[in-house]
Amino acid sequence: MACMHDHSCEDHDCSSNWSLYKHIDLSKVSALNEAVPGSVKSVFKAWEQRLNSSEGHLESNDGDPELLVFIPFTSDVKIKSISVVGGADGTSPSKLRVFINREGIDFSDAQSMQAVQEWDLVENLNGALEYQTRYSKFQSVGNITLHFPDNFGGDTTQIHYIGFKGEATQLKRDVVATIVYELMPNPSDHKTKAESGGGLSHIE
Amino acid sequence: MVLEATMICIDNSEWMRNGDYAPNRFQAQADAVNIICGAKTQSNPENTVGVLTMAGKGVRVLVTPTSDLGKILACMHGLEIGGEMNLAAGIQVAQLALKHRQNKKQQQRIIVFAGSPIKHDKKMLEMIGRKLKKNSVALDIVDFGEEDDGKPEKLEALLSAVNNNDTSHIVHVPAGPNALSDVLINTPIFTRDGEGGSGFAAAAAAAAAGGVSGFDFGVDPNLDPELALALRVSMEEERARQEAAAKKAAEEAAKEKGGEQQPASQDTTMTEGPSASASEAENKKDDLMDDENALLQRALAMSMDDTTSSHDVRDTDMSEAAADDPDLQLALQLSVQDSAKEGNDVSKLLADQSFVSSILATLPGVDPNDPSVKDLLASMQNQSEKKDEDKGPDGDEKK
Repeated sequence: MACMHDHSCEDHDCSSNWSLYKHIDLSKVSALNEAVPGSVKSVFKAWEQRLNSSEGHLESNDGDPELLVFIPFTSDVKIKSISVVGGADGTSPSKLRVFINREGIDFSDAQSMQAVQEWDLVENLNGALEYQTRYSKFQSVGNITLHFPDNFGGDTTQIHYIGFKGEATQLKRDVVATIVYELMPNPSDHKTKAESGGGLSHIE
Repeated sequence: MVLEATMICIDNSEWMRNGDYAPNRFQAQADAVNIICGAKTQSNPENTVGVLTMAGKGVRVLVTPTSDLGKILACMHGLEIGGEMNLAAGIQVAQLALKHRQNKKQQQRIIVFAGSPIKHDKKMLEMIGRKLKKNSVALDIVDFGEEDDGKPEKLEALLSAVNNNDTSHIVHVPAGPNALSDVLINTPIFTRDGEGGSGFAAAAAAAAAGGVSGFDFGVDPNLDPELALALRVSMEEERARQEAAAKKAAEEAAKEKGGEQQPASQDTTMTEGPSASASEAENKKDDLMDDENALLQRALAMSMDDTTSSHDVRDTDMSEAAADDPDLQLALQLSVQDSAKEGNDVSKLLADQSFVSSILATLPGVDPNDPSVKDLLASMQNQSEKKDEDKGPDGDEKK
């Protein structure tokens, strides 16, 4: 599997650099203006699979090339660079703007807010290109929002792969993962061990 | 149990005065809104609902998305009907209100009640729909009220622009015997995903059916026996209170009119007495008893008194009361003229059984055939007989 990089790949495995996809919380990934709800999850895969679109790709609605992708991570990450593989015939995105650690951004917010960093993209059909970040700004990223405002003239915008290169810290931004709210206390939900017949203690 | 923030857009334009939906379009709409709010908050306690009006002076947000049902129901009071509905502005303001919801995890939904004609063109509605779809806002449209040319098509176009994977719906409700809320209960607006909302919808449908089949107060005693009992008891208490109040009012009127004849008024209070004591209102009974005692004592004192003084008292009473009754006035004048000659004419008048009973009959709440009334009349007869004996055999003895 040729990396198509300029260097020789025997020394390291390129794919391990692009392994931040493992730290993405896929269940909470969302996108705005996607034609098929939930299709955004198919663009996060291993680097080797970046050109393999058998499981679908992300496409925007007809006539509207804007896309907004919200990606939360399971732990804080440091992002060194980003890679985006678009579609053919002008459906590749032409611009990328990112926002860090902001939830609930929609299109009007994205258009009015100052992005942390912006790139002009080129048509990158084989995924060899990566876009470097200003690393100091991407030191502890809990979630990232990608805004693709425009494309190269196609009716829709297609994205087949999004990859992140960097390191994952073991820290987590949000401490509370699952909260159960009780509107009304229900004693039967809170049986203690004694009430439920007592458990035998194990001695091994 | 979808976690959702909903904005309900109410049409309070002039077209809502029409009565083709019972009792009028606006009231039917308000009932539907109440049921929707209840269903949403019940299906998931973290759901929030907000309300805005589209007509009147302009689009106005009555309450921002909240899970407090009381606040939502309270804001529906005192809404004024007037102006023209601005559908586009209403939807855009709703979208903005949803954007600023507190819990960003909630799905966004707008429910629009479109009762008046739509003045926007199809293209503009489609543009609005696309914008909603882009921001993943779902839209439910209730098409009722005015049936304009092109209104259903416009709304269908809006729906198809918004609809993303069947999350948006439209319901056309024609005018008819069924209430707007009943029709809505069976639609996907309520029974989405077939859970949660359907539980509430089923209960609401049962309540509606229960109202039709004649459950007292619209509450099923099987579902909520305590509430049904409380409602029944309060209804009975209210009825009893009203009866007692009516009796008291009658008694007041009787007192005024019956002041002309102290015994007559005494009769009325006597008749009131037993009936008052029979009533369940304890307070009213005490009041009546006090009045009755005072009057009774006065009457007794008068009857014990010297005939002349009692005669005078009676005269003054009669002149006071005479102002009320012109017939009586005439009679009194006659009697006063004669009183120089025969002071007993007044007592004669009173002794006249038929005259007294006719007077008594005109008094409300007095039954001349009542035995206590008859007794009093009899005692009056005896008194007048005594006086007659004193004065001479002039008295008419009629029994």
